[in-house]
Amino acid sequence: MAIPLEARSLSLLRAGNSVLDDVSFTINAGEIFALLGGNGAGKSSTLLTFLGFLEPSNGDVLVNGSSVRNDIAAARSAIAYLPESASLYGHMTAYENLSYFLDLAGKPANREDIDAALDKVALAEEARTRRLQSYSKGMRQKTAIALALLRETPILLLDEPTSGLDPVAIDEFHDLVKALANNGQTILMVTHDVYGACQIADRVGLLRGGKLVGSFSAENGERIDTETVHAAFAERETA
Amino acid sequence: MNAITRIAREEWRLWMRSKIVIVAALIVAVLLIVTSVLTADRITAEQSQRLDQQIAAEKTFFSQPDRHPHRMVHYGHYAFRPPPPLAMFEPGVDAVTGQSIFLEGHRQNTAMFADNKAAADLGGFSALTPANLYQLLLPLLLIVLGNALFLRERESGTLAVMLAQGQTGVKLALGKAVALLMVIAIFMTPLIAIAIYSVNLGESMLAASALVAGYSVYLCIWGAIALAASIIIKQRAVSLGFLIFAWLFTAMIVPRFAINTSSAVIYAPGKIESDLIMLAEQRKLGDGHNAADPAFQQLQAQVLEQYGVEKIEDLPINWRGVVASNSEAELTQLLNRYSEERMTLEAKQSHMFDLFGLGSPSIAISSLSRTLAGTDLATHHRFLRESEALRFDFVQSLNKVHVERLSYADDINRNVDAASSMRARVNSDAWQVLDAFRFAPDSPQQRLGNAGLSLTILAIWLFMVGGVILLAAKRVKL
Ligand SMILES: Nc1ncnc2c1ncn2[C@@H]1O[C@H](COP(=O)(O)OP(=O)(O)OP(=O)(O)O)[C@@H](O)[C@H]1O
Ligand SMILES: [Mg+2]
Repeated sequence: MAIPLEARSLSLLRAGNSVLDDVSFTINAGEIFALLGGNGAGKSSTLLTFLGFLEPSNGDVLVNGSSVRNDIAAARSAIAYLPESASLYGHMTAYENLSYFLDLAGKPANREDIDAALDKVALAEEARTRRLQSYSKGMRQKTAIALALLRETPILLLDEPTSGLDPVAIDEFHDLVKALANNGQTILMVTHDVYGACQIADRVGLLRGGKLVGSFSAENGERIDTETVHAAFAERETA
Repeated sequence: MNAITRIAREEWRLWMRSKIVIVAALIVAVLLIVTSVLTADRITAEQSQRLDQQIAAEKTFFSQPDRHPHRMVHYGHYAFRPPPPLAMFEPGVDAVTGQSIFLEGHRQNTAMFADNKAAADLGGFSALTPANLYQLLLPLLLIVLGNALFLRERESGTLAVMLAQGQTGVKLALGKAVALLMVIAIFMTPLIAIAIYSVNLGESMLAASALVAGYSVYLCIWGAIALAASIIIKQRAVSLGFLIFAWLFTAMIVPRFAINTSSAVIYAPGKIESDLIMLAEQRKLGDGHNAADPAFQQLQAQVLEQYGVEKIEDLPINWRGVVASNSEAELTQLLNRYSEERMTLEAKQSHMFDLFGLGSPSIAISSLSRTLAGTDLATHHRFLRESEALRFDFVQSLNKVHVERLSYADDINRNVDAASSMRARVNSDAWQVLDAFRFAPDSPQQRLGNAGLSLTILAIWLFMVGGVILLAAKRVKL
């Protein structure tokens, strides 16, 4: 079976500046890969490259074994993407937003499907018929996560999925992600949350200044050690 | 439902939930309906009124009492140009050219306004025609609706979400285009209603539907310009600013420039100016009222020889009538030469103005609209020519009566006493020389042919802006 996500010596320029520099990693089916890094490290840019929004200046990104630049449409249909800022329509309700984007994805959902997804992310029922302009940040984030779930794609790219969520919601979200991975879905998650990343990820990559400077794996059924990752993060940040 | 119609539907949802958009659309709709109804009402009234006036003028002429025929030449007659049915949408040049003309001997008068009352009735509203609203106001509404169509998605980050769902930039652009097309379709309904009404009033289906098609293309051009700007330009203020500028430029500046340029490049003297020049030439022709004018000596010799007599008193025909008839013919030739020259220059200017449509769709649509409605300059010129033919015809027919039915002796002695004056009259049955005059617009095929240039220019515009949209949408980036 093809490797769901792979970066091969990926380099990227944005507005003439080097943003990613010779980054390589692979993520296998059913794996949760957490990409950690400081602000401006290039995490979001990495996700955008997998979606074909940015083109590598060197190297390549592959989705299910084929280069994204050759078939952007195939990559996008295999991936559900949660953007950094939950970008949905303020003038529409949660139901309207989700049904619209799912129609665009060619995966129409009925009210029950949508309710089931919104139950999973624990969006209050009374809020679902309200327009998103009246939502809190966390509520918007939950709606956006529900969209990614409803796509039921083999791959999920999540950009800071827990930002704006309260601690209880974060725990629930972690359980949800683990369940998805157990189900065979491949997850690439960008986050600042060292603790959360170590809790759920099979592997953690540390990105700094566009370079992959560290990689930590969960060995023999144990979790990745938060202290080690945190130390590495802090050391690199201050170096 | 496919993605394109889905995108269009969501655009409509946004518009329906935005008060500004609804208020703007309502204002435009009300303006359109009010002006359409007012103009339609005015034009239908004028149409029947001018026909009545034409018939009345003919009756008055026919019912004149026994007279000296030359008095009838000066009594004169009127020609009226009733507005064509589509003038209720596009009054065109009728608003400035005059629609009636006084026809008399030895003169080509300027067309006058049949009634100034109509404009006063509407309190200035007559300048606000449905055609003006379609040409100027609707593009603004399309700019308001369209300037952020694509940009808004980019600004709010939803563009990334849409693309991430597997939609292409082209499909997004098409969806937005369909949303605008529906707006255009709705705002075309008043024009379609006017077109149907005009067909009821006798307008041809071909001309009416060509007009509807032309305006649809014009509005699509503006919708496309707005959409293209919203795809290419990344800041809302810049996009709106650009579009307003484009509107000002193509709807206000280019037409001004086109008028100034075409009248500077092709110099056409006004009627007063050319009349002054012509007057000098006219003096050489001699005065047709004075049979003794030396200018007619050659003619006299010729006519005397033809009838084999020595003196004009011995002629079997009325020499004064011969002079009147001849001088009318010569004078008319001169007048026609000048008026044809003037009309040719004006037609050239108008053609040059039309070519500026390549730089402004507003010019192309206004020219298309006048031509199809039959309210263009060419139609006015034809009215001038046809009314001139009518004038020459009845004047010469009266001169023929003068030549044949009034003796020279009675004629020269007409002012001696009351009895001689009675003898110098001709029986009123001689006034039946007037042809009925019913001015009609060109055939629809001919109007369509004349509108070919403007139609082509509009098609080029739509094609080009459409191409820009496709190119931009294909390479759309976040
Ligand atoms: N639209 C853009 N145009 C040009 N350069 C950009 C753009 N967006 C980001 N960059 C640059 O790319 C680099 C990486 O940005 P990126 O958004 O990938 O960082 P990140 O790791 O996601 O940061 P954060 O944790 O703040 O989200 C930064 O140096 C940033 O200045
Ligand atoms: Mg980021």
